[in-house]
Amino acid sequence: MRTRDTDKEKLVIAKAIEQIVQDGFQGFSMNKLAKACNISVATLYIYYQDKDDLIMKIGEEIGVDFFASTVKDFSPEMPFEEGLWKQWQNRAAFALEFPLQVACFEVIKHSPYRDQIMQSGLLADFKVMMRQFIDNALNNKQLVPMSFEVFWSVAYGPLYTLLNFHREGKSMGGKTFTLTPDMMEEAFNATIKALKP
Amino acid sequence: METTTQLYIFKTDIGPLCANCEVHKTLSTHAEIQEWSIDTDDVDCVLRVASATLTPQSIIALINALGHQCHEL
Repeated sequence: MRTRDTDKEKLVIAKAIEQIVQDGFQGFSMNKLAKACNISVATLYIYYQDKDDLIMKIGEEIGVDFFASTVKDFSPEMPFEEGLWKQWQNRAAFALEFPLQVACFEVIKHSPYRDQIMQSGLLADFKVMMRQFIDNALNNKQLVPMSFEVFWSVAYGPLYTLLNFHREGKSMGGKTFTLTPDMMEEAFNATIKALKP
Repeated sequence: METTTQLYIFKTDIGPLCANCEVHKTLSTHAEIQEWSIDTDDVDCVLRVASATLTPQSIIALINALGHQCHEL
């Protein structure tokens, strides 16, 4: 009888993430993945119905981990500045600890798998929580009213730009770059100035 | 007697399926098949069948009778 093995399952997910980041979806196949994991294709099909099923499950898993990490010690009831800083710290910590997962999630987010993954239960809860945080800030007059997309790009854009520089190890014009806590705080202070009334 | 559903994996030559084709109809209406799927994007067109009673040999015979090759992986 064919049985599941959780260690093997973890290896499969880790290798799949590596391959998706390296080759994108076009270069990714169940056969290649099985070879990289030193398992038979048949074993892979015990865990997943097909490539789509595998990508969906990986996307959901990364999304759920990201969600859990992002809301750690965070509450939508927090004062705006404190809550946003907590968001910055949590998002940065996840990106720095799991760069491959973040890169893989980026690939998935720019694919047709995106909508289905974003609709899954926990991620829907995450969106509600983030919405609530913004609504509270607006009601308490701690945030300048603006359209959601503009808010998001101002609130998180600087952080993700710095994290991208850090991941690449380079900033503008190829200059060597490492993100420091001081730099993150400097960027946050500039961001909060733009958002607070 | 208690039975446990088992998952069997096969390499086949089944191409893209339509709801009306024989393979689809036969597998979907088979009383002893709890669940099935085919990855037609994969080079091995891998068929998965979950059944508590069928043997791999009987599933191979079923697919062969529908005009397709089928080998257990």
